[in-house]
Amino acid sequence: MGLVARQIEAAGVPTVTLNMIPAYQRLVGMPRVAAIEHPFGRPYGDVGDAERQRAVIDAALAFATTASAPGEVTHLPFLWHQEPKETHWHPAEPSPIIGLMKERAAKRAAKEATE
Amino acid sequence: MSEASASHEVDSWRFTGSMIGKVLGSAIPDTPKHAPIPWAPFTKPLSEARVALLTTAGLSMKGDTPFDMEFERQNPTRGDSTFRMLRADATEADIEANHLHIDTGYIERDINVALPLPLLHGLAKEGVIGSVAPTHYSIMGFQGADSSQLENESAPAIAKQLISEEVDLILLAPV
Repeated sequence: MGLVARQIEAAGVPTVTLNMIPAYQRLVGMPRVAAIEHPFGRPYGDVGDAERQRAVIDAALAFATTASAPGEVTHLPFLWHQEPKETHWHPAEPSPIIGLMKERAAKRAAKEATE
Repeated sequence: MSEASASHEVDSWRFTGSMIGKVLGSAIPDTPKHAPIPWAPFTKPLSEARVALLTTAGLSMKGDTPFDMEFERQNPTRGDSTFRMLRADATEADIEANHLHIDTGYIERDINVALPLPLLHGLAKEGVIGSVAPTHYSIMGFQGADSSQLENESAPAIAKQLISEEVDLILLAPV
C-alpha cells in the first residue's frame, strides 16, 4: 500500500496516506502519512458517523496543504468510541494466512507433545 | 462520537491483537530503513484541486471482475495484485468488497467508512475542494510475501490514469 503511494508520488501526483499502523513508515517511507487510531476496515469512521468521517477527510486534506517534507507524519487526534474487543473488525473466518499459521502452530505443539 | 484529544500519539497495535501485532511488528525495523522518499509538491489551493480516492478494501463495481479470493485461499502467502477503477458516483449499492482479512460488512453498509465518495461530492459542492476525479481506485491490501506486481504493474497504471484525468491529489486509505 505504502509502495503504491510512493509510485504515484514518484509519477508526480501528491499523495496523503491515512494509516492505522504508522510504524510501517519506518519500513516503507510514504510521502505523507496521516496516522489514525481507528479499527481495521473503517479508516474514516464508523458506519453512519458522518461527523467523524467528515472530520477525518478534512484533516487528511488539510495535511496535504501543510506537509512540507517527504515522509512527514501527522498523528490525527481522533479516538475510537469502542474498546478494541468491541470493534469486531475481524472477518467471520480467519484469513488463509492466519489459518496456515494456526495449523503450523498446532503441528508444532503436537510434535512437541509426542517428543 | 467525535471525541478528539488535543494531541494523541497513534498506537499502531491498539486494534491488531497480540498475535497479528507480533507478526506485523516483527517485519518493521526500529529505525527508518527505506529508500529515499519521493515528493511531488502539492501547490494548488485545495479549493481548486481535483481529488481522487483509493482504498485497499478489495472493492469492485458490481458487474466488473471481482478481486480473486480463491487465488489467496489456494496460496495463503499471496494476494490478488490487480486494481479496479471505481466510478465517482459509486455508492454501497454499486460495489462489492472482497478482502479476507477484515469484516467487509461495514463498507458494504456505508461506503464512507473506507471510500468516502458521497462525502467527497459534498466537499466539492461546498467549494472545499475543486472537483471530484472521474475515477477512483481499489486494490486488495493483503499481498503477503510478494508485492512486486502491485508495485510495478498496478501502481504505475493507477498513476497513469490519475495523470490522464489531471488529478491534483489522491487520498489513500489502507483498511
